[in-house]
Amino acid sequence: MRMLNFAKRNFKELIRDPLSLVFEIVLPIFLLFIFQQFNIPAENFKLENFTPSIILFGFSFITLFTATLVAKDRTSSFLIRLGTSPMKSSDYILGYILSLLIVVLIQNILFFLTAIIMGLKFSISIIPTILVSMVISIFFISLGILIGSLVSEKGTGGLGSIIVQLVCFTSGMYFPKDSIGSIFAIICKMLPFEACLNIIQGTLHNNFTNLTLTHIIVFIIYFIVIILLSIILFKKRMISDNK
Amino acid sequence: MYSIEIKNLTKKFNDKVAVNEMNLQIKKGELFALLGTNGAGKTTTIKMLSGLILPTSGEIIIENMNMKKDVYKIKEILNISPQETAVAPNLTVKENLEFMAGVYQIKDKENKINELIKLFKLNDVLNKKAKTLSGGWQRKVSIAISLINDPKILFLDEPTLGLDVIARKELWKVINELKGKITIILTTHYMEEAESLSDRIGIMNNGHLIDVGTSEYFIKKTKSKNFEDAFVSIVTGGEL
Repeated sequence: MRMLNFAKRNFKELIRDPLSLVFEIVLPIFLLFIFQQFNIPAENFKLENFTPSIILFGFSFITLFTATLVAKDRTSSFLIRLGTSPMKSSDYILGYILSLLIVVLIQNILFFLTAIIMGLKFSISIIPTILVSMVISIFFISLGILIGSLVSEKGTGGLGSIIVQLVCFTSGMYFPKDSIGSIFAIICKMLPFEACLNIIQGTLHNNFTNLTLTHIIVFIIYFIVIILLSIILFKKRMISDNK
Repeated sequence: MYSIEIKNLTKKFNDKVAVNEMNLQIKKGELFALLGTNGAGKTTTIKMLSGLILPTSGEIIIENMNMKKDVYKIKEILNISPQETAVAPNLTVKENLEFMAGVYQIKDKENKINELIKLFKLNDVLNKKAKTLSGGWQRKVSIAISLINDPKILFLDEPTLGLDVIARKELWKVINELKGKITIILTTHYMEEAESLSDRIGIMNNGHLIDVGTSEYFIKKTKSKNFEDAFVSIVTGGEL
């Protein structure tokens, strides 16, 4: 299948980029390790809460590196070559998503292994948490495809960094959103990152009391809109780049 | 029997006409060189013929198939070596060949890859990442990749641009070996390349295909000393 062949190529491109490995895997593991050394007396930094936060933090870099890969492919002659081949748009999009899902799986396994070594109690709920987070990661991968379709390789760094910052500050991974103010809390609720974290944390704890209907609706809307936009824009840019 | 038939082919970008009412027939196995100054419309023509962009109007028939109806079938039987080197940078040369064999779903891919390795003498660089190769090697790999599906039609967009004289002559040798077996459409800025390799030459200017013929025909027509002078005379309307 052409899609699998393309996914295999993308996966090789990603894992052979040392920067991508450092930011997607090494940095989150380092943060998971270092924050546990500080013994910060806050709920957010307890291993069972902070491990899902680190998973989400890792996803923000998935967005950044997906965007870079797509933009690099788009602006090089490589996609001209593929554009004259019998590959269809669905082969490209699914090929990007599948290759990144393998990276996400590796991320998740390594993050949980590190957390367990550091004292997280092993629970069967880790398996559904990994599966749920892989579904959530499709939103982050699509966001990367969208950014990579919109801007050049240089531009992906800037936009990707904004996503990293938004994840850090609006998901609630570092501090409870209410401690900043009510307007900020509303902004957090309107963005999808808090919902993502609550879903992952809820699945791990098998307790969804923090997850509201608004969270679910916000996440579903972002999920559908971003996936559709990424497909439409990627297809459009594939043609317009070759004009 | 024609390999490519172009009827009233036009491409407009907003108000700019990149290719204007082009009509052309290219025979099977012919090596056709498309010449013109920068912005003449050569690359736009190749992009339309290879299914990358849609024409504004006109018709393209490739191996008796209509580009509008059978684009994916047509894409199975053609290939392109784009102007810039088109390889996956973090993949080795062998992996690049394997990847493209997968794209075209080549059944006997090991044999085909070995054939290309031999033809382009790629053994020494086979396990090197494409991004670490010199420009000349990257170009060679890029052209090798374009033969992975045994195309019936091959588009070579300025294949020797930036190559040193030895690499250029080596590539000419390979192109000469392909002549007659597949239909090749070549764009180039090197007059001697078009003269030496092609069966016929088409000269484009401002989106128009001005004339088609052999190099001897153009030299005779313009009463020039050589083909380069003939080309300049045609493109400038005899002003230079």
